[in-house]
Amino acid sequence: MTEILEASGLSKWYGQVIAVNKVSFRIGPGVTGLLGPNGAGKSTLMKLVTGQLRPSQGQVALFGQRIWNNYPLFRRIGFCPEQDSFYEWMTGAEFVAALLRLHGFGEAEAESRTTSVLELVGLADARDKKLGAYSKGMRQRIKLAQAVAHDPEVLVLDEPLAGMDPVARRETIRLVRGWGKAGRCVIVSSHILHEIEAMTSTILLIHNGQVLADGDVHQIRDLIDQHPHHIFIRCSEPRRLAEILFRFEDVLSVRFEPDGRAVTFESEKPDEFYQRLPDLLLRHQIELEEITSPDDNLQAVFHYLVK
Amino acid sequence: MSSLAKMWREFRTIAFLTIDTLFWSKKTIFVALISLFIVALAILARLILTYNWIRSPFTPPQVFATLMSTAVVHFLVVFITLFYGTALISEEVEGKTLTYLFLRPIPKPVIMLGKYLALVWITLLLVVPSIVFSYLILYLGSDLGLFFEDMGALAQDLGIVVLAILAYGALFALIGAWLRHSVLAGLLYAFGWEGIIPYLPGYLRKLTITHYIQSILPHDDTAVAIAMLIGERSGPLESVLTLVLLAVLFLSTASLIVREKEYLIEQ
Repeated sequence: MTEILEASGLSKWYGQVIAVNKVSFRIGPGVTGLLGPNGAGKSTLMKLVTGQLRPSQGQVALFGQRIWNNYPLFRRIGFCPEQDSFYEWMTGAEFVAALLRLHGFGEAEAESRTTSVLELVGLADARDKKLGAYSKGMRQRIKLAQAVAHDPEVLVLDEPLAGMDPVARRETIRLVRGWGKAGRCVIVSSHILHEIEAMTSTILLIHNGQVLADGDVHQIRDLIDQHPHHIFIRCSEPRRLAEILFRFEDVLSVRFEPDGRAVTFESEKPDEFYQRLPDLLLRHQIELEEITSPDDNLQAVFHYLVK
Repeated sequence: MSSLAKMWREFRTIAFLTIDTLFWSKKTIFVALISLFIVALAILARLILTYNWIRSPFTPPQVFATLMSTAVVHFLVVFITLFYGTALISEEVEGKTLTYLFLRPIPKPVIMLGKYLALVWITLLLVVPSIVFSYLILYLGSDLGLFFEDMGALAQDLGIVVLAILAYGALFALIGAWLRHSVLAGLLYAFGWEGIIPYLPGYLRKLTITHYIQSILPHDDTAVAIAMLIGERSGPLESVLTLVLLAVLFLSTASLIVREKEYLIEQ
């Protein structure tokens, strides 16, 4: 594998708190998923590899060069931050074009790239809308747009699917996979295995600032399957849905949420669970409001790996 | 395209982005009100003098001189540069937008410089009209000869205001890039250190920006007179050069800090 990004003995601490602890890895072209629970050190690691933070110890190199304060290298990096922050008074198009101009593109080139990238992320119709009026999903997509607009070789995406609706999520997953196939080095973080799995089979598993596993997602999947998986569903008729799903063998338990409008299932075969769910919802005309996968199961795997 | 043109485009983009950021910040309403307050003071003074509401020993030019040397140079300029200068970096950190700027292929010192230019520009935009309007309000309608005669002093005032903006702006930009509680630190400097030191005997006064401004002001108001009674003025050339050098020094230090400091954007 041709290494694009390489870290050796990389550590970062804030005072007494160690966020990343002696991490070493190599990442090449294609999509690599950075997987770990909240607070595992994913965001710090992403900030280190994008040169936003200076390593406390060890090294991180992109294309063989140090990253911190290496400005020309930023031409080759695109970063989609996790934080939901913008220059709210700008329109989507103004935002992307301004950042493109900071990449050295002229007015015409910045404008043409803005148009293309907004089409790519499905925001062409909202280009002249103020960012302050964007929905959460649109804000995620505009962050993605500014990250890819200058056509970088390395893309670092911090929780890019957070807050997206199912359609935008599917489209974004398709885009990420496409960028990976095209030979770009894409690093994408999430605390939800299914999201990562939909984009790549190569993962970097991180917990408490340390890399626990590095390689194929199927190894993790095997471990995951040994641990029951929790699925939280908010819908129009949670009791009816529970009754329907509890007939399946893989569903081990059902817990109703205190407000009576949601239910959490425990399944030992999450893939089968997710596969059958849309059909069942349609057939019984149950309206789905929200479906999330708490990372308890992943946490269980982490505990297992740590032990 | 030449690298100079490219750099200019980067400067311009950063500057416009910063002007927008500052313009849309909550501070702007406050700052604009203070600028208008100066004009309001001029209007009030003019009304008092024209209609003899109270017996006043001052002439309109004397009122303008006092307005310039106290309200404008020692208050308005300091206040605006303090609020905007300390916000140049901290506003982007608090708004969590700094990430977008620092991940562009532009040296951080260039970003700092672009932001500083925006600060100078927006401060000039707020201060210069206040001065010119105050001049017009206080001078027009009386002796036109005096109006034209004192235009030289007005030009000198504007030049001093530019120097003050450059020096205070750079200092507060430095404080903002360096310290977490930058507004408090700036207030302590502006109204603590600069409020006391110029009126103490000895050379300590040379460690204030205000000393060099007072030294070249064409008007003598009470505060300036007291300060100059205790110690000597610095020469005009020395004052101008010191103000420029201080601006360069503060700005260079601010750029260095921005380059080396890690700004933690909380999730």
